[in-house]
Amino acid sequence: MAEGFNTARSSSLLVDKHVEYIKSLDKRQDELEYWMTEHLRVSGIYWGLVALKLLDRDSALDKQQVIDYILSCQNTDGGFGGHHGHDSHLLYTMSAVQVLAMYGALDRVDGSRVVDYVAGLQDAETGEICGDEWGERDTRFAFIAVAILSFFDALPRLDSDRIVEYVKLSMNYDGGFGSGPGGESHAAQVYTCLACLAILGRLDVVDRERLSAWLAERQLPSGGFNGRPQKLEDVCYSWWVLSSLRILGRVHWADCSRVCDFVLSAQDPDTGGIADRPGNVPDVYHTCFGIAGLSLAGFEGFPLKDVDPVYCMPVECIERIGLQSWINNVPRSWSQEKLEDV
Amino acid sequence: MRIESSESVSESVPLSQQEEWKDVTPIPQDDGKHPICPIAYTDEYREIMDYLRAVMAKEEISERALTLTGRVIQTNPGHYTAWMYRKRLVEELNADIAGELDWVSDISAMYPKNYQLWHHREALVVRLLDPKQATEEQSEAELLRHPVIRRELQFLDSALNEDSKNFHAWLYRQWLVRTYNIWEQELIFVNTMINEDVRNNSAWNQRYFVHLQGRNPTQVELDSELVSDEIVYAVENIKLAPNNESPWTYIVGLLLRHAPAKLYTELLPKIQELANDKDYSLAMTTTPFYWSALVDIYEKQARASPEQGKALIEQAQSICHSLATEHDPMHGKYWEFRNKSLSELQL
Repeated sequence: MAEGFNTARSSSLLVDKHVEYIKSLDKRQDELEYWMTEHLRVSGIYWGLVALKLLDRDSALDKQQVIDYILSCQNTDGGFGGHHGHDSHLLYTMSAVQVLAMYGALDRVDGSRVVDYVAGLQDAETGEICGDEWGERDTRFAFIAVAILSFFDALPRLDSDRIVEYVKLSMNYDGGFGSGPGGESHAAQVYTCLACLAILGRLDVVDRERLSAWLAERQLPSGGFNGRPQKLEDVCYSWWVLSSLRILGRVHWADCSRVCDFVLSAQDPDTGGIADRPGNVPDVYHTCFGIAGLSLAGFEGFPLKDVDPVYCMPVECIERIGLQSWINNVPRSWSQEKLEDV
Repeated sequence: MRIESSESVSESVPLSQQEEWKDVTPIPQDDGKHPICPIAYTDEYREIMDYLRAVMAKEEISERALTLTGRVIQTNPGHYTAWMYRKRLVEELNADIAGELDWVSDISAMYPKNYQLWHHREALVVRLLDPKQATEEQSEAELLRHPVIRRELQFLDSALNEDSKNFHAWLYRQWLVRTYNIWEQELIFVNTMINEDVRNNSAWNQRYFVHLQGRNPTQVELDSELVSDEIVYAVENIKLAPNNESPWTYIVGLLLRHAPAKLYTELLPKIQELANDKDYSLAMTTTPFYWSALVDIYEKQARASPEQGKALIEQAQSICHSLATEHDPMHGKYWEFRNKSLSELQL
């Protein structure tokens, strides 16, 4: 790495650069990356919008245009594809709903169709949630289904006891969660399981101490987190690990100032944007989760908006929609401890 | 019908100049009035996408459509809709499944982190070898000789050889082992993987998976002898690299779940013996994992046997103190918390 690059890397958050970077994403049509990501454009907009909202710079995107575009990606089955003309998938349906919710535009979509689509993906026999009509299963999808229905106040449409049972079966001996029963613990899957349980008010099934310790152990000397033992650190785990620790009420078990340093060191001072680790090419996904991680870590160098650790959206949006109630549903013993310790 | 291998597709001649595609009018990307997402393509990709949209629009089920999806996926494996269409084509054309599996293998060698291909693979394998029938009629030894299972195990060998921690490959392996009940070979495989890299956490996780054999962990009683053997196995591997999180987490976690009494009676003497052995004492006493295991063991024992409780708690607390200040300051807040909880423990 060139020395000049190192010194150019500041300890400050390059806000204007990041805003420009996100704005430029739909103008880079001469780049290979651009058309290769067509199938997840809806998610790309979600990542960009979360980053901008947390920076309080969401005016950088044309709200009306974005809403119209998102609506154009809804299919007749009620779900959303990653771009118009693409098949529905839970992942993109989640991103679409989150974008609309951040813009206060959920009333622009026929909620009952979305709800029907999501509810139809629960396997009546096992209670597992499929990602699409072809039946791929994953704890990620359990979280997404629960989260989407919570936006439309339709949680009773799912058999939530079965979902909790499935998530419990995916809990490992280290206290973490995998993508299904038997799957290795992975920080991103931990987040989805915790967020799912939080919305359902069932965090009581978690082995709080063991899981929190496992998550804290993910922090490496660089300050960054890895997602599994013996793997490299990556900026996106600043979000997956810290959001999980926040849900567990244990963010203070991480060394937050070192996380911030790590995320800042992965900024690209020339193009803007944040990469997976220092010196790599930035992308909108890591830009979003880097900034969200900074917000959770209590970064003091810029007044970032607070981010909700369950929905990965600004707290003010979650409050406006009335979904912050998950906080009141954490086990009693947790909330009491939080008052003393944090 | 045959599935063309990834090399043999005529990729150089534009589709618009091929006789085979004369009857199709390509549908260009409609960006409508949403300039937030105008899509610009390289010429070749734009053309195959335009033709893909055209054949999808008329729901064409044909060999050429299958080939086309292959080209789209090869260029852009995340193209979810192309995968969905391909699945349907393979099914309705009654395509050669073995050939399709070879094609998927090529894609996974190119894009090992893609999600879609693994699920596609599962569906193909089930069609080749009905799990219910196979497991009812054939023993594990017979199944291991079956060409379908052999191919999948070989495919996984090469995928895990490429990246021994590939999350998708391990999950797929779990699916295969569980679906066809081939548990005995799996323990042998896990041993090999741990021998190759004692720090491979995926292999340690797989070890537990094998012992559980798909049963609900909260309802399983593991055989006492097996558990004792696992303690010996874990400690032998701790010797090789004491500062390796995986075997520590594995054995403490397994015992907490299935045989908490053995933490104190069997694991503790073994790790203390190591810590007192001059060949290992430096490595053992400088890894937080050793001290952390002691805290877990002392706390568990104090709860189980209150008469020893006070002394054990004091030992555990002094360990927490030295971890917070000396051995593991990055997790200082955690150790302070453990220390505090121990002081509040009601015996």
